[in-house]
Amino acid sequence: MINLILLFPILACFIIFLFKNKNLSNMMITLYAIIHLVTSGLIGLGIIPELSQNKFFAIDNLNKIFLIVLSIVYMAVAIYNNEYMKNENINKLRHYAYAVLLFIFSMTGAILSTNLGIMWIFIEGTTLASAYLIYFHKTKHSIEAAWKYVFICSIGIALAFVGIILLTVATGNLSSLYWADLYKNAHLFNPFWLKMAFVFIMFGIGTKMGLAPVHFWLPDAHAEAPSPISALLSATLLNSAFLMILNVFKITILAGCDGYARLMLSVMGFLSLFIAAVFVYHINNYKRMLAYSSVENMGILAIGTALGGNAMIAVILHLIGHSFIKASFFLTSGNILKIYDTKKIKSITGLMITDKKTGWLWLLSFIGITALPPSVLFISEFLTIKTMLEKWSYILPIIFLILLTIILYGIGKAVLSMSFGNEKINVNRQDFDNRMYVPQFVLIILAFILGLYIPQDFSNIIYNAVIGF
Amino acid sequence: MENIFIILFGLSMIYISATSRLTSHINILIIQGWLLFFICISGISNEQWFNFGLFDNIKVNLPHLYSIIFIIVETLVVKAFVIPMFLKKVLRKTNAHRDSEANIPHFYALVISSLILFAGFIAASIQSSVFELISSLHFGVSIAVIIISLWLITIKHTVLSNVISFITMENGIFLLSLSVANEMPIIINLGVLLDIFIAVFILGMLVNEINTKFEDLEVSQLSELKDYE
Repeated sequence: MINLILLFPILACFIIFLFKNKNLSNMMITLYAIIHLVTSGLIGLGIIPELSQNKFFAIDNLNKIFLIVLSIVYMAVAIYNNEYMKNENINKLRHYAYAVLLFIFSMTGAILSTNLGIMWIFIEGTTLASAYLIYFHKTKHSIEAAWKYVFICSIGIALAFVGIILLTVATGNLSSLYWADLYKNAHLFNPFWLKMAFVFIMFGIGTKMGLAPVHFWLPDAHAEAPSPISALLSATLLNSAFLMILNVFKITILAGCDGYARLMLSVMGFLSLFIAAVFVYHINNYKRMLAYSSVENMGILAIGTALGGNAMIAVILHLIGHSFIKASFFLTSGNILKIYDTKKIKSITGLMITDKKTGWLWLLSFIGITALPPSVLFISEFLTIKTMLEKWSYILPIIFLILLTIILYGIGKAVLSMSFGNEKINVNRQDFDNRMYVPQFVLIILAFILGLYIPQDFSNIIYNAVIGF
Repeated sequence: MENIFIILFGLSMIYISATSRLTSHINILIIQGWLLFFICISGISNEQWFNFGLFDNIKVNLPHLYSIIFIIVETLVVKAFVIPMFLKKVLRKTNAHRDSEANIPHFYALVISSLILFAGFIAASIQSSVFELISSLHFGVSIAVIIISLWLITIKHTVLSNVISFITMENGIFLLSLSVANEMPIIINLGVLLDIFIAVFILGMLVNEINTKFEDLEVSQLSELKDYE
């Protein structure tokens, strides 16, 4: 089954290459989304056991959550994409389809890989596959964003490779980079080299994950990419980088030198929150605002990971909730961009009057992302703060809350001023198909349901995923 | 013998930091490719299995042969031929032959990169139990090369010299991977090589695009995306 989701995109690329048909590109993207969702649902939820004995790719308790999140978000994006991209010319659309298929392929590969080296290769692959997607509009701004993205991420990932080399130094005579071997022998590793390796991997992959102070590519790339791609970047790409950090972090726990790693994670986490708070406060570009909100949420994930224990459950919930809500937020921003043809917050008012459904989606996404109940992020942030109060002093939770409040104010100010007020004259009213509303709505509903009720089976999956952290 | 090549490799970085002609930077990339090849081969020639009987029992020695072929492909074909040729092509297309306005005068750049390299040698000579796990000269020089490359990225002004510094950094990382006793499996090496190659290729294409869309290849052109307008 795993082979199917890894081989299909390559096959689909060939088919698109052979038959130059406009509908085919979108069809292949959607077909892959369906296959991805069905397969990962079946093997992730354990409905059918995984049969293929693949040495490099396997599903385990932790990565199944990442895989299912990727599938659901990709499905939503694929449905939205059909409508969003319908006016592009055939050649551009074909290149777009290649890049999307390879992008999802490399993220799936990164999530499923059982080997640190292979995971690195696929994470670098995500950078390369998505470079074209960011450059899709071929404007001066998009080339600037694409250049920064490829250059900064490649350097970051190269530094992560230095970390992998140092990790092989730490392993001594092990000479294997399989996660299972690394976990089993972690207690024998040389702590000095392991700490060095973690520093490099944390900074390198942290670049990809969008943690401050190495997040500089993120606002540019998210703002300039087409909206479906921004959704994929924010809701799935950052997660797959986070999975690699989690796995390496687990090695440091098993080796008994996790104190250092926790300190680094929490410093980078708080710094991300701080950066997001500073920039969101006065921002005048709504897509950049959403990008900074991703930096913020990645910071929360890093802090939760540093805390460990119950906060890890919060981390998983936060990851799921953030992916769903942020994807919905970015997709809705695509609707707004089509209506107003501007990314400036100040040029937009009266969204509720111009397009009621988009206005409601915009508001609901806002409620979701700022962790107001019934969003699942409310539970995850509450749990994080609770664990923080138990484990750390009172000062850090207070700083955490103040920063979150500033971000809530910044995003709230922008979203409310855009949604309400008088309708703008000369607005390009559009009659969108339902495919540009339903995916976001479903994602938000999922995130809200998880905020109210978590099924027993699902909570078992989460508990199993965080064993060992 | 191996040490001489490693030191020459370190010195090549000093040459890059002190010159402004991009053609000579690309020539240095070719030289670095050859030096890395010699470093690998002289390292391999010290191994027990490396002798004239290597080809007698092909079946047993197949993994070793693979690694030799891989090293030749990676260093000579990719690092010393394909990437420099591609960059020369980009250079011809974009007509950007010099990067004369670095943030720091060449003389100071020379001094600073020499100091970093010197610090690398000092690090290589530290006698400590943790350094027993690696070959110290490889480690010192490669860390120095990586730091010099990162620093050059920050001071150089054109996007093409940034790409060149990125490649020298990758060369430094390649040298670092040689310092480890455990070899990486060939599949991972291949994947890494492929990724780096495509990254350079995409960066080169973007350089071309920047050249057509912007007035020149200065990095300062790429600063239109701002948070506050």
